[in-house]
Amino acid sequence: MEDLKLKYVYIDRQHACVDGVMLEHESQGGAMLSELYRAHIGDWPKFFKMDTLSKVGFLASDLLLKAIGREKPGEEYTSDCAVVLFGTTASLCADRNYQETIQDADNYYPSPALFVYTLPNIVTGEIAIRNRFRGETSFYVVEKADAAQMAFHLACAFDDDVTAGVLAGWVDSRHNDDFQAFFTMVTRDDAKYTDRLAAAIQTIMDNSNI
Amino acid sequence: MEEMILKLKQEIIEVLNLEDVKPEDIDNDAPLFGEGLGLDSIDALELIVLMEKNYGIKLQDPAKGKEIFKSVNVMADYIQKNRTK
Repeated sequence: MEDLKLKYVYIDRQHACVDGVMLEHESQGGAMLSELYRAHIGDWPKFFKMDTLSKVGFLASDLLLKAIGREKPGEEYTSDCAVVLFGTTASLCADRNYQETIQDADNYYPSPALFVYTLPNIVTGEIAIRNRFRGETSFYVVEKADAAQMAFHLACAFDDDVTAGVLAGWVDSRHNDDFQAFFTMVTRDDAKYTDRLAAAIQTIMDNSNI
Repeated sequence: MEEMILKLKQEIIEVLNLEDVKPEDIDNDAPLFGEGLGLDSIDALELIVLMEKNYGIKLQDPAKGKEIFKSVNVMADYIQKNRTK
């Protein structure tokens, strides 16, 4: 059986890489996300309203889908595509930002726009809305990145006989300038042998320092 | 009033994270919701918070926002008449 090689996108606070090729940028951290959005996407103003977790996930997913041949959002990989993500810090970054708006009793103005992101699965929804994906969307909060565990859950996403692909990945955001993510697309064939899929994910993680 | 409208536009841009929008891009009479800036229901809630935080106006009936947020001109006029700070 041949090794499985998956195309992937990797992003951290200093780097953005599409299948091993570094993208050029001048800024770092949160500013880098905006710079890359403007340079490579630019048609989704809601990006600026998202929390950092969603910005990283949105950017990584869009760069990946372009790299694997998507011409325009919503035209391919639509109803049969799922989004399954993993991470350790969940919505901690958004939780902290929201907490700041309710910390001071004399300056107590809870922000609705920050509150809506205090759930980690919102990032999966942002990606599904952008691409008109109608498959399963899940965000697993896990103790650490584990390729075998991820491969198991990704393979389970194909149990329904309908799902044709899973946009899968790892996304973490500790604060607005500190984040890490990798995204890949897994097809039904890719998920046929869980061990082979786990090895492919492990390779991405090794290349990404996750 | 012009100064007040410019300040309000800057506040709207800041609280709603309209990064690529400048004050001069917002037409004083254009609808804030729907076609105009493409704002949504969460943005409406943020505008309610903005009015309370910056101008001391507490909207008892959120449904009133529909009328108040018709345009920047209407919003500025309402703030001018009802502000407590």
